[in-house]
Amino acid sequence: MLKQLLLGSVMALGFIGSAAAEPVNILMEGVPDTEYVKALVPEFTKETGIEVNLEVVNYAEMHTKLVPQLVSPKGSYSAIVVDFYWVGEFAKAGWMQPLDDRIKADNFDTSPYIPAMMDLVGKVNGTTYMLPFYNYAMGLTYRTDLLADAKNQADFKTKYGMDLKVPETWDEYQKQVEFFTKDGFYGAVNQGLRPDPIAMEWSNYLFANGGEYHDADWKPTLNTPAGVKALEQYTNSINKYGPVGSASFGFDEAFNVMAQGKAYSYITYNFFRTAYDDPSKSAVVGKVEIMPVPGVSPDKGGSLNGAWGWAIPKSSPNPDDAWTFLKWVESKEITKKRALAGGSPTRTDVFDDADVLAKYPYYPALKKLLLTSHNFAVFTYTPQLVEVLGRELSLAVAGEKTPADALAAVEVEFTELAKKDGKLK
Amino acid sequence: MIGISGTGANAADRRDRRFGYAMATPSLLVLFLIILFPVISALFTSLHDYTLIAPNFDTFTGLTNFKLALGDAEFRHSAWLTLRFVIGVVALEFLIGFAVALMLNKVERFKPIYYAILLCPLLMNPVIVGLIWRMFLHPNLGIVNYLLSTIGIDPVNWLGDTKIAIWTVILVDIWHQVSFMIVLLLAGLSSLPKEPYEAARVDGANAFQCFIHITLPMMRTVIVVTLLIRLIFAVKTYDLIYIMTRGGPGTATDFVSYFIYRTAFVSLNVGEASAMSIILLTAILGLTVYLYRYMRSIN
Repeated sequence: MLKQLLLGSVMALGFIGSAAAEPVNILMEGVPDTEYVKALVPEFTKETGIEVNLEVVNYAEMHTKLVPQLVSPKGSYSAIVVDFYWVGEFAKAGWMQPLDDRIKADNFDTSPYIPAMMDLVGKVNGTTYMLPFYNYAMGLTYRTDLLADAKNQADFKTKYGMDLKVPETWDEYQKQVEFFTKDGFYGAVNQGLRPDPIAMEWSNYLFANGGEYHDADWKPTLNTPAGVKALEQYTNSINKYGPVGSASFGFDEAFNVMAQGKAYSYITYNFFRTAYDDPSKSAVVGKVEIMPVPGVSPDKGGSLNGAWGWAIPKSSPNPDDAWTFLKWVESKEITKKRALAGGSPTRTDVFDDADVLAKYPYYPALKKLLLTSHNFAVFTYTPQLVEVLGRELSLAVAGEKTPADALAAVEVEFTELAKKDGKLK
Repeated sequence: MIGISGTGANAADRRDRRFGYAMATPSLLVLFLIILFPVISALFTSLHDYTLIAPNFDTFTGLTNFKLALGDAEFRHSAWLTLRFVIGVVALEFLIGFAVALMLNKVERFKPIYYAILLCPLLMNPVIVGLIWRMFLHPNLGIVNYLLSTIGIDPVNWLGDTKIAIWTVILVDIWHQVSFMIVLLLAGLSSLPKEPYEAARVDGANAFQCFIHITLPMMRTVIVVTLLIRLIFAVKTYDLIYIMTRGGPGTATDFVSYFIYRTAFVSLNVGEASAMSIILLTAILGLTVYLYRYMRSIN
């Protein structure tokens, strides 16, 4: 009797379960911006009745978790977030659904997105596959109190014959790095861990020297005067102007050095800006500001762009509900709420919003940073390029290869990858 | 009479044997499926141009993947590095482990407490071990360099120097895994009979002679098994590298398991990664067979 009762109730539960709509499942990375989305999800469920499950994991696990789901005809993720690294690969493999028809049908306006964001995590060869989610472009974080110090200003003037101020060009910043390195204090802290921390950070040095990854025909342009100079400066920054061990720092360790007040500057992801003002993580509250990485001249920036986009995989079990969620989460209202919570926006209308500006006075700097930022080489084999770049840069920093030799080695493998992808004829 | 009972016994024997096979077949089948299937599937994949971007077996490439792998200077470098690492950790862990096991074997009181303390690192997840040590060894903010500075030693660049990084990884691996050696060797030591030692004492042998002529020969099987298991685990070291160095600085700690992982999941080239795994498997298998034979020959 009891058995039958149990069996019956289990079956009844099963029916109820299958009668309710399938929830929207999304795999996400454990970063601040995910938390801001998570906090707002109950509002969406209240409005639409659609449940949303966010599966939050570490970045390192994401790709390996996603691929099997994307390859199968029916996966378990309704929507996904895509790092700009993977865009080429996902598009090439045909894992994402084009969104153009849905955008048109619902009159979803994509014009407020910053164009560089749409290029990076929006459109691929004219087709919209993603909506830009948040940006993690890199910026120069520096100590304002040290720049304002009268003695530093006088000393700097005598030594270099120029004023000590917020740097307008990359060369000016390099002088400051040299100037501040003394008595156990460091001009810069770097994240030299391979592969992505070093590859991402060095990209800023490349762009700041006026270099790029490739020309219009995808011919690599790394072993050039700009590239070699960038790598020499990076090597010096780690070995001469940085703390012992920065050749193996990930971003958290490098951030800690900066947050403990032991370095003048750190080129890093812009979402760290808020963390400097958190007394539980930082000893330099109110003393650090962010700006675009300066370039060869005051009108040029050297920042590396980076962003995540929302997409609906081909294998999505419920693409319509997923689109309803994407539309909602990327609406002006919700993106503004996310930005107010501390998120990194991708839309100009959010950057220009009065409430957002009132709360975060440094947002104009972030907007300028995005507008002047440069993109990494995005193609099918971006992850491999990062791997090769990480290895060779690390060898140069360790003094086992000259900058020119290391960059020549990268060019050889980059050329192969670009040819394999059909980018380079 | 004898003949009849003889055939009867044979028939019963045969029935017994058949019954035995019948009983063992399902579990053997499951075992083969679980262990052999992945190996065969890897072998099959290694002969094809199989990538995660185009996951199909359309292009048969024969031994191309093996040629590519063996021709890759980075792969050879990582294999060579792994070999040196394995010899380093296994030898050091064995020496330390055996010494500690011998000492513990003499201990009478509080043995469970020693055991508990020794087992602590072993129970920890390698990822956690890596993270803890990364913090301890932070050049500026870590406790190790702080303690060294109190006795006037300059900060050591534990993970950022190409010459030191591999030794740091070896040290952390020893800290993590040496208890495994201790526990296994101690179990072997405590199961040794007491009589030969008493006889040797009567004959006037000293402790060193007892160790060389009694302990070592009797422990040989245990030692070989312990070394073998540790060796196989050491070749597969991946987690520590992933957490602590990512193969850097430069290529100073780029071990073969991490290299294969990257080939499969970063380069998405599962075909070539399978070929590399098969090469690695063959090497470990060869070593295992050799040590197993050696163990059999001394018994």
